[in-house]
Amino acid sequence: MSTPAIEVRDLRKSYDDVIALDDLNLHIPAGSFFGLLGPNGAGKTTFIETLVGLVRADAGSAAVFGHDVETEYRAARDAVGLAPQEFNVDRFFPIHEVLAHKAGYHGYGREKARERATQALEQVGLLQKRDQRFSALSGGMKRRVVLARALVTDPDLLILDEPTAGVDVQLRRELWDTVTALNESGTTILLTTHYIEEAERLCDEVAIMNRGRVVETATPEALMRRGTDRITVTLRDPPATAPAVEAGGDRVRSVKMDDDRLVVVATEGGLVAPDLVRELDRRGFEFVDLDVSRTSLEEVFVELTDSGNGDLGDDADTATDSGRREPRTAETPATDGGR
Amino acid sequence: MSTGSSTTQVATLARREILRFIRRPYNTFLPPIVTNTLYFSVFGIILGSRIGSVAGVSYIQFVLPGLVVLGAISDAFENASFSVFHGRWEDYIDEVTTAPMTHRGMVGAYVFASAVRGLLTAVLIVGVGLVFTAAPVTHPFHLVGFLVVTVVLFAGLGVVGGLAATDFDNLTVMNQFILRPLVFFGAVFYSLDVLPPLWRNISLLNPMVYMVDGVRYGMIGVTEIDPNISLAVLTGAALAVLAINLVLFRRGFGLTK
Repeated sequence: MSTPAIEVRDLRKSYDDVIALDDLNLHIPAGSFFGLLGPNGAGKTTFIETLVGLVRADAGSAAVFGHDVETEYRAARDAVGLAPQEFNVDRFFPIHEVLAHKAGYHGYGREKARERATQALEQVGLLQKRDQRFSALSGGMKRRVVLARALVTDPDLLILDEPTAGVDVQLRRELWDTVTALNESGTTILLTTHYIEEAERLCDEVAIMNRGRVVETATPEALMRRGTDRITVTLRDPPATAPAVEAGGDRVRSVKMDDDRLVVVATEGGLVAPDLVRELDRRGFEFVDLDVSRTSLEEVFVELTDSGNGDLGDDADTATDSGRREPRTAETPATDGGR
Repeated sequence: MSTGSSTTQVATLARREILRFIRRPYNTFLPPIVTNTLYFSVFGIILGSRIGSVAGVSYIQFVLPGLVVLGAISDAFENASFSVFHGRWEDYIDEVTTAPMTHRGMVGAYVFASAVRGLLTAVLIVGVGLVFTAAPVTHPFHLVGFLVVTVVLFAGLGVVGGLAATDFDNLTVMNQFILRPLVFFGAVFYSLDVLPPLWRNISLLNPMVYMVDGVRYGMIGVTEIDPNISLAVLTGAALAVLAINLVLFRRGFGLTK
């Protein structure tokens, strides 16, 4: 069994009366694409900053590729490339030099550091801006510089804290492609995000954090299977009361009429729907339309964290006014092809 | 993942720090030239011609070493405190603190770069002084020794200030209410011999007195305190401040949450 990329045991951190990390335990395998989800204040950024020495834990231990972040901090930090949520880039120098300095801080000689800086800027499509200062760049470009700075040291573990916050859809997809390629080449990725779609689309495994603890760890698919889907069948001659439905067996949670529509709530609705259609057809019901609204990871997330709408849906293209993303229908694929 | 050396890491940070001020000549080099031209004009020529000689040399030659120390320590302190605090204020110091660099290396690079700035300022002030008077070097080893120890000490104090400050106003306060009084009562513009015994003894508690006296000894050969004792005390003070810097970095004072 290979050394995990991150191993955290009973990590604890408080700020006065606020407990940011509450005996956090987490195991992130090397080579994985791991998502960390949680509402604001869940402790995600505190956890990440503990790994690179920006936060000192009160108790517990954390190791990066087997190196304790306190006692073997140099080896641990050398393995990590961090793209933080907040822009914290040296504004005195052009971005190429900023990146070369960062590479130098990790021990790359001057020429090699410059080469690494050039490669990293190429990787994020900003080479033509190499002589610009950070403050002269657009918001999306700034986000890319932060990613390039994380990449310039060729890290084994790339930590992305809300990497696509505030960037447009096209850039978001470019960033997804970049980090997916890195992961496929062996880099472990730890991603925190508000965009649940990102986690669904990119991650092998996700952990949901709430109030400084991990409340669940699973694959996105496994988590979504825990949620309930909604099958809506529009009938030509709807009955006054909902018919008894045998299709789906234990998966079916409820059956009710809503005007001319039969609404069946069930787990794994995609499996229940065909049986339901056959049963209704056999029993002489004529139907006009069928719609399956699949559960989303976001809905499972909200259930697990009980956070309501406070922290999700910062972006209009993924959220409704209520902060919950519009449920997908059978006609709307879950992703644009996945990873 | 890199495989580079600690030397490369520290050299990169020191280089970054030096480039930061070298590339801003109007901020770095022009102010000491203008300020010291004014000092030499007023204290050296206008007032100096009325004062005559002090400790056996012309007044302008007497104040030259003091002005060298004044400029060097001010710039060493301000450079270190600004650089560390600005990095904290804008959070880009994280680029350094999240790197696999030793704490000793971080302290060394910040102090070295600021000490270099202090020494460059000292050279500039001597250059300006040469326009007005001769700048003899009577004891070169003492001159270099005192200047190096002095700028290291104040660069180290600047690092402490940069870590402790919570606002830019704090830096101004440190400069106005701590550094300047020490400088102006540090025998830059007068000889200790003109003071009554009580004030002379009180003045000896001011570390600036030893720095100015030591550099004065190195340049014009005039001293009021044994220069070797002064150098030893100042070296001890510089090492103590460096040790404090190291402890603060290790503990993440002002750097970690």
